[in-house]
Amino acid sequence: MCSLDDNFENKEVKHFPKVEKINLRDLKCNKCRENIPVVLLRHKDAYCKECFLAGATHKFKALLGKTKLIRPHDRVLISYEVGHPSTALLHFLRSGLDLNTPKQLRFEPVIVFLEDQWHLTVEERIEIVEKVKKEISWFKFQVNLVSFADSVCNNNIVISQMNLELHENNKENINSILKKHINRTNKKEVLNILRRNILISIAKKLNCRYIITPELSVDIATNLLTNICLGKGSQVPDDTGFCDHRDKDVKILRPLRTFDMKEVAFYNIFNNLTPVTVRQPDVHQYSSIQTLVNHFITDLQDNYPATVTTIVKTGDKLASGDHIVRDKCKLCQGIILEKTDELNSEESTKFSRLLSNELIDHALSREDRYLKIKYKFDSCTDRNQRYCFSCSKISEFILLNDTN
Amino acid sequence: MKITVEFGGGAELLFDNKKHYDVELPENTEWTLGRLLFWLKDNLLKERPELFLQDNSVRPGILVLINDTDWELMDTVKYEIQPNDSILFISTLHGG
Repeated sequence: MCSLDDNFENKEVKHFPKVEKINLRDLKCNKCRENIPVVLLRHKDAYCKECFLAGATHKFKALLGKTKLIRPHDRVLISYEVGHPSTALLHFLRSGLDLNTPKQLRFEPVIVFLEDQWHLTVEERIEIVEKVKKEISWFKFQVNLVSFADSVCNNNIVISQMNLELHENNKENINSILKKHINRTNKKEVLNILRRNILISIAKKLNCRYIITPELSVDIATNLLTNICLGKGSQVPDDTGFCDHRDKDVKILRPLRTFDMKEVAFYNIFNNLTPVTVRQPDVHQYSSIQTLVNHFITDLQDNYPATVTTIVKTGDKLASGDHIVRDKCKLCQGIILEKTDELNSEESTKFSRLLSNELIDHALSREDRYLKIKYKFDSCTDRNQRYCFSCSKISEFILLNDTN
Repeated sequence: MKITVEFGGGAELLFDNKKHYDVELPENTEWTLGRLLFWLKDNLLKERPELFLQDNSVRPGILVLINDTDWELMDTVKYEIQPNDSILFISTLHGG
């Protein structure tokens, strides 16, 4: 009934074409057409080890090179997170820096590990920090350690190259800056924003103009849909694009955003790299919007391998319109638009909400009713709005002095 | 039939924190990789089977390599295990 095409069900073949089964025998590498392939990407592209590794390195450098943002000798902060993507990132950097050809990477990476593994015991965390230090120094980089909990609670960032003081009460300290009844979605969002802000502060302290984060395509896709769910649509280009321009001094770059987990994992396996592993917390898929979106995407990706790339590529086409920017959000540095006569989606939402909460006054004429509600709407909107739409919802849960 | 089974990327945490197992499989039957998965679950897996298996295969997020080759090129669960095969399970769920 709702379908435009009544014969939809008969057109199954057209809409859901059968995936052609690949003949596994006599299969040759997609690139060199000679060697026997060892890895199958996207369920269809087979590569031999050499072509796969060359392709991965090329993809990494191409994205960094194409944008021409980083200049030679720039200091670039690398945000290390435990897992396959960071290990692959360190290897990409080390092998790029050690080259003697014109393709050599010429910037100066500064590695930082922002520790936030509160779901583990202090002993486990100390062990992980030691392993991380060992891994980073194996790649001949200097490690910088920062405690996320201390940075947030003391509002002071201490960078250590030797040791990190970890406390049993780090988790409670973090919880103490948030109101008790905050839900998981908002809590995650607050912590994500604080994490980003701390990374930017660290970059400024260490004289870095760029930060590289190890987000993969699936993280980008998850972030994109999460942002839309949380009313942060206007921030999609900055939050999921190659470069986050929100801070005027420090830009965040995501050179792994076109890689998927299988690629980085195989990159590590073929280079004999073993990433540090962490016991993962038990997270219920319905506990927050972020985990739900992540579950939705990974589930869909399993059956339709183009899911993530489709979301990412669609996101790349999104840009904020030609509105006049009045200010930046105090919490996330997202844009706050200048008011115009035309209602944008944020104001429309607020207007609807106001209207739905009003009782109709039948004593007034239609026009008067409209003027009355319009007057009420105009007078109750915050002219000195300091937060973007999304952060105005979550800022009330934060008890920190400097953000409220 | 002797084979080696290895775990990495955090999958070893489910298997008594051991990365390497020399396994002797009973020879009275043909061994497909799918059958091996359930044998591992019954004999070596120490905790939380849902983090290793889903339906009749490994959980999405666990990569399998047979003799250093992606199992997707080897017909996945239908692959017939040969003596001295080396099978590696890499988790991508731990960390990152």
